[in-house]
Amino acid sequence: MSIDVREQKKLKEALYFKELDNGLKVYFIPREDYTKQYAVFATNYGSNDNKFIPLGEEEPITVPKGIAHFLEHKLFEEKEGNIFSKFSDLGSYVNAYTNFNQTAYLFSCSDKFYENLKLLVKFVQNPYFTDENVNKEKGIIEQEIKMYDDNPNWKVFFNCLKAMYVNHPVKTDIAGTVDSIKKIDKETLYKCYNTFYHPSNMVLFMVGNINFDKALNVVKENIDRDIKEFHGEVKKITEKEPTTINKKIIEEKLSVSNPLFNIGFKDIDLGYTGDELLKRQLTTNILLDMLFGDSTKFYQSIYDEGLISGDFGTQYIGHESYGHSIIAGESDEPKKVLKRVKDHIINQRENGLNKEAFNRNKRKLIGYYLMDLNSVEFIANNFIKYHFNNTSILSYLDILENINYNDVKERFENLFDLDRLSISIIYPI
Amino acid sequence: MSLERIREKLMEGIYLNVIKTKKFKSNSISFYFIRNLNEKEVTKNALIPLVLKRGTSSYENAMDIEKKLEELYGSNLSINVNKKGEKQVLRFTIEGPHKDFINMKNIFTEQLKILREVIYNPILENGVFLDKYVKQEKNNLKKKIKGRINNKKQYAVERCIEKMCKEEKYSLYKYGYIEDLDNISSKKLYKHYKTVLKRSPIEINVVGNVDSTFVKNSIEEIFTFEREEIINIPREEISRENIKVKNVKEELDINQGKLTIGYRTNIPYEDKLYEAFLVGNNILGGGPDSKLFINVREKESLAYYVFSKLLKYKSLMLITSGIEFHKYEKSLDIIKKQVNQMKKGNFNNDNITQAKNAIITSVKSLIDDNYSISEFYLTQTLTKDKRNIDEIIKDIENVSKDDIINAFNKIELDTIYFLKNKEANKEE
Repeated sequence: MSIDVREQKKLKEALYFKELDNGLKVYFIPREDYTKQYAVFATNYGSNDNKFIPLGEEEPITVPKGIAHFLEHKLFEEKEGNIFSKFSDLGSYVNAYTNFNQTAYLFSCSDKFYENLKLLVKFVQNPYFTDENVNKEKGIIEQEIKMYDDNPNWKVFFNCLKAMYVNHPVKTDIAGTVDSIKKIDKETLYKCYNTFYHPSNMVLFMVGNINFDKALNVVKENIDRDIKEFHGEVKKITEKEPTTINKKIIEEKLSVSNPLFNIGFKDIDLGYTGDELLKRQLTTNILLDMLFGDSTKFYQSIYDEGLISGDFGTQYIGHESYGHSIIAGESDEPKKVLKRVKDHIINQRENGLNKEAFNRNKRKLIGYYLMDLNSVEFIANNFIKYHFNNTSILSYLDILENINYNDVKERFENLFDLDRLSISIIYPI
Repeated sequence: MSLERIREKLMEGIYLNVIKTKKFKSNSISFYFIRNLNEKEVTKNALIPLVLKRGTSSYENAMDIEKKLEELYGSNLSINVNKKGEKQVLRFTIEGPHKDFINMKNIFTEQLKILREVIYNPILENGVFLDKYVKQEKNNLKKKIKGRINNKKQYAVERCIEKMCKEEKYSLYKYGYIEDLDNISSKKLYKHYKTVLKRSPIEINVVGNVDSTFVKNSIEEIFTFEREEIINIPREEISRENIKVKNVKEELDINQGKLTIGYRTNIPYEDKLYEAFLVGNNILGGGPDSKLFINVREKESLAYYVFSKLLKYKSLMLITSGIEFHKYEKSLDIIKKQVNQMKKGNFNNDNITQAKNAIITSVKSLIDDNYSISEFYLTQTLTKDKRNIDEIIKDIENVSKDDIINAFNKIELDTIYFLKNKEANKEE
């Protein structure tokens, strides 16, 4: 069996790869001295993929919001009951998550890895939806949605997305709404499943003390042989998103102690994938740290003045079809913070960026990455994310090290357009 | 693969624990100062980390500290205060990449120096903490204390404990009380901090690819410890006489009711039945295959989350769930029934094996994370538990069904706490 190996010598890491006949890609990073063994089976399908042409059909359909997440819940159900007890028998931990772009099923164990792997491969390929079990799930997911409704940080974030985006599905809650999930039925679930859970649209990743050949054999023996061959791409339809924002401000009241805010800058320089996309993500995060990070005078002064308290942070999220920088925190006067942010950007444009700050912040990100590689969960979940963006977690360090001051400078010139800025505020009741 | 800890006494009440392992790409160093949890100092202890983060004699403000950390490849410095039973633990941790992966051979000693600066050389004026910093951080702590209500799940659990342990130190909130703040001056706070440094038991845990002699020598070279008589940290009382079940309902503007039920297990962690209760707790509400998950969530669709957990130091069991406001009676009824099933022994050998396996997997996995390793050894020290991981696993394996039934028959319901909506109340 021919297996590809890619080494990252500086990190003492290696990545093993094999593509199966049905198009499923299988990857592995060894961690011989770890107790935990971890596998994740994921599809390139998330809450954003609400409009698409179902496999074997011609016309696009729009499905209820939250269906990818609903499907994730339902896959745990088998004809004989739910799959949890089988993993419990093996003493392993099984879970799943859905985000904007991916749905992932995972387990972690310290023993009987190959039996766990067999279970994972089988249950993800074995949908069992009935009217009854679909209806039962609605009550559970309704409680999940309400749990998030009581989470002010979640609310302030999604309100910010709703303010920035006009059409793009990234503005809708991953789990949908209490109303939208009521419209979900088993027929639509099967349609989504058959379109997006084809092996060629999926990836299987493993990390831990594992024999890759043995694992590959388990996967091959348990992969569904009846699945029709499918070549070409799943047709996803992305709504056209204008370059303008939807709203300048969204305010809401919840039972919180102090006002919370998210300031969002919509990025319109989009369309990148692969290494280029990753480079832009890292460049922008360095830039955000140079402008607003804990070691800046800006942060120090708004903290000193008591304008913000402890929680304050920034993040850039970039994808092929959307991108935004978010500044989040807690303040008695969020609008004053916004003004300071605007003034600071204008000021920095005039005075230029500090090269020494660039070097420090870049070095910081290198350290963070090294520390993150301690965690098998981090490796697995980020492997999936980067893989579906056509780059690799093992390229991260090289890309980061090659970012120079001019990249950041250039990025600064095209980002933070004050006309594409939204603020979301949650006030106390 | 098991771990080895080299434990050495550095001075009276100061112990160094080095856990050498090559598996991580980083090193972590933690200093733990152990205090008794009490009204007199809870708020002061909570305020200390906030003030110390503001500056040292050589890094005069937080910005300078942060710049130095960035130079050390983003080494993470975290200082916080935690409640462990009726103890309050001040923790100073620094974690950064191991020298083999970066261009900085002396990073380990640089990290120790930063820790020394932050712990032992805070910026002072007139021999006490800077007034300006103390004032600002009192204000920030006030916000933090008020901010409790932001996390409703956590809030309901903490309120349940407060009601349940009203007469006990364990009810104290780890970040203290707003009313105490007015009375804390820079002078008082600094005086208290000096006592913390001189009289607290100190545990120093180092995890990573480091040589224990090198670590010891570096610490002795970089730190000068001034010590006085070390305070005594007694074990928590766990049982109460004549428990009357308390029913507490409180209101907030929320979308989902949060139900928390508190039990006294009456089983101290030194007891042979402790492991049995741990296994039973897992059968009852440990994971997606537990009685609570199956009956409350899967069969009745009452909740998205429902689980039970054990609070080791105080021997409490808490069951917690998010439900519709009007499903309170029904949910409570089902939960109580499941607890009774445990008492009656209505669970089978498969359930026991599953629960044991789940616990064993999580105990084994703890050695894959440097923070967990450090916390594990701290717990072992605080509970005077000499067992290593393999011995703990063996004790879990040896639990029998009778042990679990016996353990569950010791528990007593203490408090039923429900956080509900103001609107829902009006409709009733």
